[in-house]
Order: sequence, then C-alpha cells, then structure tokens
Amino acid sequence: MSSSSSSSSSPPCPKKMITLKSSDGETFEIEEIAALQSKTLENMIDENCASTPIPLPNVKGKILAKVVEFCTKHAEAGADAETLRAWDAEFVGVEHAIVFDYILAANFLEIPTLLDLACESVAEMIKGKTPDEIRKFFNINNAFSPEEEEDVRRQNQWAFE
Amino acid sequence: MAVVTQKRTNLDDNGEEEGAGAVPASSRSPLHGDILELTLSHVPLVDLVPAARVSTSWSLAVSSSLRHLRKPKPWLLVHSQSTRSPHAVSARAYDPRSGVWMDLVVGHERRAPAAKLASALWSSHSTLLYGVSPATLSFSSDPLHLAWSHASPPSAWRVDPIVALVGSRLVIAGGACDFEDDPLSVEVYDTRAHTWSVCASMPATLKDSSASAWLSVAADCRRMYVMEKLTGATHAFDPEAGAWLGPYDLRPDHDVFYSVIGFAGDRLVVAGLLGNSEDVKGVKLWGSMAVGADELEEICEMPEELVKELKDGNYCVSSISMCSRGDFLYVYSNSKPEIVFWCEREDESGEWRWGTARDVAARGRSPGQRVAYTCSEVGIRELREAAATGNGRFVVMDGS
Repeated sequence: MSSSSSSSSSPPCPKKMITLKSSDGETFEIEEIAALQSKTLENMIDENCASTPIPLPNVKGKILAKVVEFCTKHAEAGADAETLRAWDAEFVGVEHAIVFDYILAANFLEIPTLLDLACESVAEMIKGKTPDEIRKFFNINNAFSPEEEEDVRRQNQWAFE
Repeated sequence: MAVVTQKRTNLDDNGEEEGAGAVPASSRSPLHGDILELTLSHVPLVDLVPAARVSTSWSLAVSSSLRHLRKPKPWLLVHSQSTRSPHAVSARAYDPRSGVWMDLVVGHERRAPAAKLASALWSSHSTLLYGVSPATLSFSSDPLHLAWSHASPPSAWRVDPIVALVGSRLVIAGGACDFEDDPLSVEVYDTRAHTWSVCASMPATLKDSSASAWLSVAADCRRMYVMEKLTGATHAFDPEAGAWLGPYDLRPDHDVFYSVIGFAGDRLVVAGLLGNSEDVKGVKLWGSMAVGADELEEICEMPEELVKELKDGNYCVSSISMCSRGDFLYVYSNSKPEIVFWCEREDESGEWRWGTARDVAARGRSPGQRVAYTCSEVGIRELREAAATGNGRFVVMDGS
C-alpha cells in the first residue's frame, strides 16, 4: 500500500496499516488508528516515517503482540465502558513479570492508557503489604542504614504486631 | 475504581516460591522514577505508609507522587457510638483520593480514644468531636481524633448545646435546660488557661432554637457562626470580644427551605435544600469570602441524577448536613445515610464537580447508635503518628 505524500492534516484512513518490528525480528501489522494510541508512533506517522516497518528494539515479539491487541481493542468504536473495564482486568491478569514488560513497553511507546492500567495492577501488589513483604516481592535491597532501620522499626512496632 | 484481579501464579502467602520474591531477580523491574511514582498514585494513602518505609528511593517517590500526581484529599470520618453502656465507639473513614473506606482498628489492650467518653458523642463544624456530661467536657480536634482533652464542665447544665472551637477557645452556647436561669447563656473555655468565663448571651431571637438541632455551626480562627437551619438567619460570635454580631440573612434563594453553613478553606459555604421536604427540587451550594447575603455567590448545584438518588425511596428529605475542608465538601442526609455526596473544586479549571461514595456500613445502622461526622486533612504524617503511638490504624475494608 503506498504511503500518502500529502502533508495536510487529513483524517487517517481507517484501514491503513502500519508495520512494527519487534526486537526479536517478528513483524506485526496494526491499524493506523490503533497505532495513534501511542504518542511515539503518532509522531512517526506525522513525520511520515511510517511507510517502512518501524523497528522497536526495546520490545519483544511476545509483548508487542499483546500491545497491538490492546491498542486495537481500545481504538474500537462504540466500546461499552463496563465491557472494556472487564477486558482490561483480564488483560493484566497475568504473571507479574509480564505486567512489568507491559509497563516498559507502554512507557517506551508512550501509551498512557496501558501505562496507567499496568501501574494500577502493580499497585494492587503493593496494597496490604508490610515494607519487608514489599521488599521481598520486588527484590529490593534495603537502602536504609542499620540505625535508620532500627529507629523506624521501633516507631512502628505496634503497627505490625 | 476498577478492581483488577490478579492471577497469582507464582506467589504464595510467604512469597517464598521463587527464591526471595515473586519477581525473579533476573526480570527487569521498572519500578523506579516516574513509573514508581505513577504506580504509587494508585496506592491508597494507608498503604503508602509502609511503602515509604521500603527504601530511601521509595520514600522519595511516595512524597513526590503525593505532591505532583495525586494529592491527598480530605477524609470523611464517621464515628458510631452505641447508646447503651459502655457506649462503645467505632470509627470508619473514607479516602476520596483512592475511593476506599477503612475501618479504624485499635490494638488489643486499647480502646478507641473516643470510647472513654461516658457521654453522647457529638461533632461540630467539621473538625470538632466532643461530649458533655455533668462531670466533664471532653473534646478532640486533631485530624484523626486520637488526642482528647478533658476539662471541667460548664456551669449551666445543657442538653444539646452548640459547641465550637474558635482558636484556643471552646464556646458552649444555648441548649440549657428549662430550670436554668438563662437558656441563652454562653460560656467560653480557654484551653490554654483551663478557665471558664461567662459571655454575652445569645441573641433573644434564638430563644426557641438555641439547640444544635436547630442551628448549624461554622467556625474559623476568630469567630463562630450559627445559622438557623429553617430560616437562614445567621449570627456570629467573637469569643475574644465576647460579642455577638448580626443577624445576617444568608438565604440567597427564596426557594431554599433548609440550609447549613460551613467553611471550605477561607470560603464560608451555605448548602441548601430547595423546594420542600416532600418534593426536593435540588441541592445548591453558595460561597462567600465575607459574611452577608450580598456577597453570596452560587458555587454549584448538585446534578439531577444525584438529587434523584437522594430522594429515591424516601417520601421526604427534610434535612442535610455538611462537612468540609479546603476545596472539598461532603453532603449527607439522615434520609439516606448510605450515600455520601461529595463536591470538589478542581485546581486547574476552578470548576466544582460532584460524586458519591457508598457507605455500606451505614445501611445496618440501628436506632441504638449515634453517628457523628467529621472531615479532616489526613496525610502520611498523621497516619504514621497514629500507628506509632498505637492509637490506631486504618485498614481498608473488603470490597472497597
């Protein structure tokens, strides 16, 4: 399909497809209208760089496939808010490591809806946990000095009995 | 807020499945900087207290997230007291920043501070909780009402007086029993000197409505304002001068049949029910930077769908109450205690928008219960102090 050479702001043709290439060489087609959910891709489309497959060296094929699925779903007209919410909940109802990959991809591609959804999902992992549980879960090294830690532990002892 | 269900495929209760944590050390965690702050903006304030203790960078991220992404918003605190001895008190709170309800949980050996009250629990002007008995006057005005002061009682025995904390002075007015000399007497307690003094009595026009059932109270740091809920007639009392001012007519719309006052930040706010109790036409808010009907400007009106919800299932709505702090107001009614309406002024646009919070626990309210509402600006510091002193911590309710 030949790319448009006009630089005026005409509405995107709904069936126009963009090709994306993942870090591991897989290619994916996405409707231009769905691709516009990504500010990064939107900029490229505006600047007419979208005629060749766009290389995305930061995103694996497995994840890019899901991102395309997300953007396509969210670009659908007439989606009922309740159904979309349920679909979103299922979308992030996956292994934590994959949700992290969604975050990294959404951040790189600047997709605010996906970023927000994935972050909210990670927030659920933080709720109801003690600091120690949070550190274990996310593999975080305690950055407090032993004195600071003792201080804080003493202050909050009751809270965690 | 959407509830996101999580398939916990690799985490058990101990978090010990994959070595130390559920997230393998090899996987890249994006949880730092902007992304950590964005994630934390979705975490309720009560859960940000432990999050801030995870590490220095998390502590900084919590502060930054609260300052720039999603600020804390005033909580609504609902205090329930059993009317039967030993007058057990329980509290729950609503955090509008995350849309969650929380129960106040007190440690085993302790009783909720308010439970030590031997008398009925009342609230006034959004920030004060108090109880008056022949032996003691007890009051609390800290954000979580965990610190209580106890003073000698006022000399006149009063039933349902109006009470207000104006600066460092606690004002008690009216509500005196028939056998007292002056049903309109006013006494002021200096919280620093711990002394009582008698002041100018309430204006004679208030003789038939000097109890808190008839009067709505607001207070700023200098004055107490009382409005007759049914007429809108408002008086102000300056405890330092010991003088009454007014009356002011704060009924800007003739269609209002019931109104209450409060302060939202520096603004004096009037909330009114329009129409009549059997056919409420609407709920409106007016505000003023000074006292006087000429200065009152309409702030906003409750959307029709919400007014319908208020009226739904009730043959009459005869009253509303209001609690407010800063740019946030809560409006609720005895006719429908399970719905709390809130109204917030948005920073950027200056527009006011409405919403609701379902107080599921209110549904089971029995006649043997007193309820008092207060509104507080609660931040991490207040929650930390409450946990540190062992006075209580808030736990998010299931299904919130």
